[in-house]
Amino acid sequence: MSTHFHCDDTETLVAYLYDDIDPVMRDAVARHLTGCARCRDEVAALGGVRQVLSEWTPPSPALRFTVVPESAVSNVIRPPASAWQTVPRWAQAIAAMLALAVGASVANVQVRHDAGGWTVSTGWMTPAPGATAAAAPGAEAAWRPALASLEESLRREFAARPALVAPVPEATAAAPAAASDSAETLARVRALIDASEKRQQQELALRLTQFVRDVELQRRADLVKINQGLGQLEGRTGAEVERQREAINYLIRAGLRPQQ
Amino acid sequence: MLGLDIVEPSAAAERTRREGATFTVQALTITDEELVARSMDGDVESFNQLIKRWERPIYALAYRTLGREEDARDVCQETFLRAYRAINGFKGQAKFSSWLYRIALNLCRDWMRKQRRQPVVQMPEDVDITELASEQGPVESIETLVARKELGRAVAIAMAALPEEQRTAIVLKEYHGLTFQEIADMQGCPLSTVKTRLYQGLSVVRRQLEQGGMSVADIRGDAS
Repeated sequence: MSTHFHCDDTETLVAYLYDDIDPVMRDAVARHLTGCARCRDEVAALGGVRQVLSEWTPPSPALRFTVVPESAVSNVIRPPASAWQTVPRWAQAIAAMLALAVGASVANVQVRHDAGGWTVSTGWMTPAPGATAAAAPGAEAAWRPALASLEESLRREFAARPALVAPVPEATAAAPAAASDSAETLARVRALIDASEKRQQQELALRLTQFVRDVELQRRADLVKINQGLGQLEGRTGAEVERQREAINYLIRAGLRPQQ
Repeated sequence: MLGLDIVEPSAAAERTRREGATFTVQALTITDEELVARSMDGDVESFNQLIKRWERPIYALAYRTLGREEDARDVCQETFLRAYRAINGFKGQAKFSSWLYRIALNLCRDWMRKQRRQPVVQMPEDVDITELASEQGPVESIETLVARKELGRAVAIAMAALPEEQRTAIVLKEYHGLTFQEIADMQGCPLSTVKTRLYQGLSVVRRQLEQGGMSVADIRGDAS
């Protein structure tokens, strides 16, 4: 190792400045400084910079970070869980089923099982008669005996009717039968209308519920936005106060300076 | 799972902890290495003892690197959180404090990369006449304190203008007393590079101060 110091050896100069240097080399630098004014000034200036650096003190905030087991933490603020996460699992399952049912009713999903297997259809368009007939050739065997028995019972009923009712002209005898048929049709239509109304009411209730939920979610989102906006406003106000405080401090300092 | 909680210290306790050096007075009977070993065994209180010892130096390091109080606080908290999570990976090849410094410096570097900006000069050193009155010692006048605060701010501005490597080298050497070798290990560069960075950094700070109308020779006289 060289024990001679040169003026341009800044690394050794820094080591000397911080007294993090081999003792032999330190003596060599000290000897050099006694005879070299330029290096002496450099060391003095850098020493001055070091002294100035010591004036830069960080603030002293209250820190006291503490690691705590989660089991012992009751007051740690955590980001809020989403509304969906707070709902119990069973309620989530019911909600999912309801959503599925609503979707199915809106899409008019129809599931049928017949001799041809499972049939799933959607949409509100009624299938073409030809398509229906073609779609259920195997079902014919099932309903034909039922139709035959219905026809047989109707025949027996009509055969028994003349014995109970006095013979009347043909036109007047047909009138009550027609009236009876129309009343039955009317009743069926009413029943269908009632069922349809009930279904529509259910759908309306479901949609209303959905709408209310959407409005609630939107309201919460708006509240969060408003909160953020207020926070930003508060930050700007704080900055303004900071500037004013700085100006006041400047005035105080100016007032403290001795008069020329 | 663990959480980090921040508790306000009492004023008296805070006074004793005001300067980073005071931590060395406390609990010297147990070394960092012993506390680390206990922490590895799951003793949370031992780790909290380590935090107590090192939170202020780490905060000071982050503050001087980033220049902003809130960011320094966040980096400090994150440093201890990461250290706790990785405590079992600490091999003890370096000092615990060096390991902590390294984590903190990496976090500072990440922060600056994310923010894509240089450290800022915040105004916490702002002169508040009431604060100064409470800080005023028996021999120091208000004028001296004001001058000192101004000097601190000038240094903060000059340091913020330095390249990251030079600033870090100066902070680690000047304020944390690390050896050249420790800084070289931390910065991953040769010993000579650390010395060069220090020399260049100090020279730049000197020029900056002189450009701001301060003569280093005068400052020496004023400050001493």
